[in-house]
Order: sequence, then structure tokens, then C-alpha cells
Amino acid sequence: MTEADINWPQALRAAENSAAVGGLRGVVLDGLRIALRDRSDVGEAQLEDFAQESLVRVLDRLDQFAGRSKFTTWAHSIAVNTAFTELRRKRYQDVSLDALTADGDQLAEATVMPDHASDGDEERARVVAALRRAIAEKLSPKQRSVIAGELQELPFDQIVELLGSNRNAAYKLAHDARRALKAHLAAEGISSEVVRNAFSV
Amino acid sequence: MKPLTTEQVQGFVRMVELTRDRELDCTECRSLFAESAEKQLAGLPMDEALALVRQHLSLCPECNEEFLALEEILRGSR
Repeated sequence: MTEADINWPQALRAAENSAAVGGLRGVVLDGLRIALRDRSDVGEAQLEDFAQESLVRVLDRLDQFAGRSKFTTWAHSIAVNTAFTELRRKRYQDVSLDALTADGDQLAEATVMPDHASDGDEERARVVAALRRAIAEKLSPKQRSVIAGELQELPFDQIVELLGSNRNAAYKLAHDARRALKAHLAAEGISSEVVRNAFSV
Repeated sequence: MKPLTTEQVQGFVRMVELTRDRELDCTECRSLFAESAEKQLAGLPMDEALALVRQHLSLCPECNEEFLALEEILRGSR
């Protein structure tokens, strides 16, 4: 029987599921080896840990598998999230909530988002100036903090932790902020076409 | 806060421009990863769900990183 022939949800729910659990663990581990083969900082022991943690999560979420893909693809997606979330923690920077809030407060300042960043192009400078005004006038302090964190390439999970929020609420905060900024550009007569042409979007 | 680089400002403007009223959040997007990656790899036409996934990936580097890894696994497993 090949991997594709196995009814994984049924096999994993069976009273005697040790063969299925072991088989899936091997599938997940092989996938992680492929996904992380270029990461010299990840050794076999850590891959095994990721596979084990992923397996626990897959078993916990069996009822969420809706059958819209192969079961193993779904399990790989959980494994990738498990491994990358943990690896991103290593990229956490030493930033406090106070510092992130202060960064957000400074975001609209020309010293932080300078005109020279627009390469002297008049249209680009107009867009950047409008964005600075919108950041100052249209965003809440928390929205500015999220945007400041994203711009400094903090891992989003770290921004979420600093804000004491959850990932989806923080994403909504960022999404609402981007929408407000985009609406402000439109209100100032800066169309999508102008932005796309000026910044080669 | 340190002054933003040209690349950071340009990336920010790009993110604002690519913003849509309806976007998936990270959890919604990841719940569609498996079927989207399979469809993409099979070269099936882009449906609404895949379009929303791609839109989220264009704005979320972390989800994008994970989606690319999943595609890599599927390619490597074939």
C-alpha cells in the first residue's frame, strides 16, 4: 500500500494507530528535511523535535481536516508552520513595547521617513509626504506601532507578543491601518495608477 | 527609530497599494495552504480562494515563507 492509498484520518483514529502515527511521523520528517535543507543552523535532532511537535498538532486537529487536499499535504502545512514559527523566534530582537510605541510615534516624522527615500522623484515625494500626514492623522497609536514593527522587519509573532494581542487581531490592526492610508491617498487625489507608476508596483 | 531606507519606504508604499478591503488573515490563509499549493503545482486555474491566498502572501512575508516551503516539499515529494 502506498502513502497515497492510506486513509490517514481513519488510520490515525483507530484504537491501534501506532503504525499510522509512525508512518505519518516519517512523512512529516521527510518534508521538513526538504523544507529546511538550506538551513545550516537546523540539525537532525531539531528536525526530529519539529516532526514530533507537528505530529501532536496534527493529531489534535484531525477534526479540522476537511478533505480539500491530500491529508499529507495538510499535515506538511502544519509541520511547516510549527517549524518556521519556532525558527522565527530566534530572530526576535531586543525590543520593548515602550520602544515600539515610541517608534510608532516617530513614524510620521520626516527624519524617519525622509524625502530622500523617494529618490528625488517628485511624484514619489508627494506620495511619501501624503503617507506621513496620514500616519499622523489617521492611525491609532497601536496601528502606528504595528506598522513600525513591520517596517523594521520584526517577526510578526514578536509584534503580536509585544502588543499582548493575537496574530489575527494584530493582522486586522495592520490591515485597517493600510486601508486607512490607502483611503487617505485617494482622498488627496493620489490614485492607484499614480502610486503604481511612481513605485513600479 | 532609525531612518527608513529607500527600500523600506518603497516596500511600505507597495504594501499600502496592494491592500484590498477583503483580505484573509494569517489563520484563514494557512487553512487554505494545502489545497492552494496542490492547485498551483497542478497548474489549475486560479480560483477566488487561491487569489485571496496569493494576495495575502504578497503582504505577509511569514506566510509567504511557509507557503514557499510547502511548495518545495510537494515538488520534492513527487
